Amino acid sequence: MTHDAPACERDATQPDIAPDMTTQGLSLAYGSVAVIEDLDLQLPAGQVTAIVGPNGCGKSTLLAGLSRLLKPRGGTVLLNGTDIRHQPTRQLAKRLALLPQQPHAPEALTVAELVRFGRHPHQSWLRQWSADDKACVDEALELTGLTTLAERPVDALSGGQRQRTWIAMAIAQQTATLLLDEPTSALDLGHQVEVYELIQSLAASGKTIVMVIHDLVSACRYADHLIAMYQGHVIAEGLPSQTVTPELVKRLYGVDCTLMTDPATGAPLLTNVRRTRDVLDGSAT
Amino acid sequence: MTSPVDAPNAVRQDKYYLALPLGQRPPLRVIVDKRNLLANLLLLGLLILLAGVSLNTGSAASLSLPATLRALFGAGSPLDTFVIQELRLPRIVAGVVTGGAFALAGCLMQTVARNRLATPGIVGLDNGATAFAVASVVGAGISLAPPAMALTGAAVAAALTFGLTGRIGVRGYRFLVAGIGVGAVFGALTQLMLTRVSIDAANAAYPWTVGSLNARPDHAVLSLSLALLPALLAGIWLTRSLTVLRLSDAVAISLGIAAGRCRMVALSVAVILTGLAVAVAGPVGMVALIGPEFARQLSAKNTVPVVGATLAGAVVMVAADLLGRVILAPIEVPVGIVTALIGSPLLLWILLNPNARTAP
Repeated sequence: MTHDAPACERDATQPDIAPDMTTQGLSLAYGSVAVIEDLDLQLPAGQVTAIVGPNGCGKSTLLAGLSRLLKPRGGTVLLNGTDIRHQPTRQLAKRLALLPQQPHAPEALTVAELVRFGRHPHQSWLRQWSADDKACVDEALELTGLTTLAERPVDALSGGQRQRTWIAMAIAQQTATLLLDEPTSALDLGHQVEVYELIQSLAASGKTIVMVIHDLVSACRYADHLIAMYQGHVIAEGLPSQTVTPELVKRLYGVDCTLMTDPATGAPLLTNVRRTRDVLDGSAT
Repeated sequence: MTSPVDAPNAVRQDKYYLALPLGQRPPLRVIVDKRNLLANLLLLGLLILLAGVSLNTGSAASLSLPATLRALFGAGSPLDTFVIQELRLPRIVAGVVTGGAFALAGCLMQTVARNRLATPGIVGLDNGATAFAVASVVGAGISLAPPAMALTGAAVAAALTFGLTGRIGVRGYRFLVAGIGVGAVFGALTQLMLTRVSIDAANAAYPWTVGSLNARPDHAVLSLSLALLPALLAGIWLTRSLTVLRLSDAVAISLGIAAGRCRMVALSVAVILTGLAVAVAGPVGMVALIGPEFARQLSAKNTVPVVGATLAGAVVMVAADLLGRVILAPIEVPVGIVTALIGSPLLLWILLNPNARTAP
């Protein structure tokens, strides 16, 4: 073959700069229940953005809207200035990947098979496998440390390995933007750190990462940008160290806490977390 | 034709990479799974074998194999030629296309619904098509040709089932429950029509209600054959999307699959095939359950065996028809009863095994 096996490179048709993702007046609803109304948001390029908030605040709904799973009732989601609704879904899949919450792999699907699905938007019926595909799959397996597990069935892996497999699939998709819905839920501490460090290294390589997570401490530790949502609204956003305050924590989760600065990392650290007394008493302040 | 260099380093060589010599850069290349290729060749061989045995089996004339072959190619005695070319061959062709159509429809519906139970027969399409075809035969109401009526019936049943399912979509259990209800209504309508017409008309329509290759309306086989080929091509075209759609809608959409459109096309093809197949042979719905399962057992894991299911359905139909003609000879057991006998244990296994029920 004259065709040299290339390194895994991003599609030449795409701009090399990390994309700018914004929403303008975005309204999302399930049926007649409005979850998010008139939301303007900017997701910084090449950084890790964490979306936090209490259960039911609309963070997963927002992610569904950002990833075109949920059609907006109003407003737009712009990627590089273009409404994602106006891009063919296959073209968009080369720019934007979503990892849903705890996805399920069919029985006996192997790691390599699952990761290969990530190449789907780059393939067609007549071009089902190329040297590029091979390079990207191999690279994704290597980045996630799964090369030696490639032939194992996904459902026989540990939770952390399984989650890395799904992330590897999204890496093989070679998108500049990656949306993750609670990528570390149901993982133990070691596996959580493993996934967070992988996410950080992806952002360092130029990807824009947006993740919904429950754990505020991890959000502060690993995110560059924090978005706090409450009842469908963004009530605070910015650098974690400047955004997280005891008042914000109280408003989000109804708990009191003492805020410290982690001496090792400089990230905000919550200690002495306890239920707010007036919530216990049932009387508002 | 294989270039294993291009497979991922860590992946076993269980696939052929067919490079298409069209001078494109990067080269056009189609993946063929070795196991599926073998499975399809095996099924094709089995089909040819069964068709041969079936051609040589019957009560009208006991022919030697050479005599059968001579008759097949028009070189035998006039009687032999008539028996082979006019009686047995058309019946076998009808078995092949109906079996293939039912099983392909079943495979497509099971895959998009992610449920083994979601076959056209179980969600009421067979009964809808049967009711309309019977109406055509007994002359009740407007009468188009049976294929057109059966097709209309399948479409009406599908519309009712989808309507009753509502926004939840074909994934939920509600799709099955609504389908079973719709099927029951059309089954009752068929019975009602048969009790209201003369005994002769009822006798003429009876084969449909059980499923038989014995009473094929004019042009029904031709209509089905004309539909089966493009349907199979559509199925092959959809295979890549269907394979990803097995994961989850969210993942599939994120990978650039137009999930809604893919599902719509697959379901439409299934409705058309079922309607036209019922016009030929009646509600032999079990083939839609047995064929795809047979193909899945033979095929590589985690593939959607579109071609395999079609071939396996044809095998099951021809085999069941052959069995029906020999087990109680000279009495003929309708093919629908034979497939029901074979399919019932499979249905029970699916119902009793929660893992088998979902994710075909």
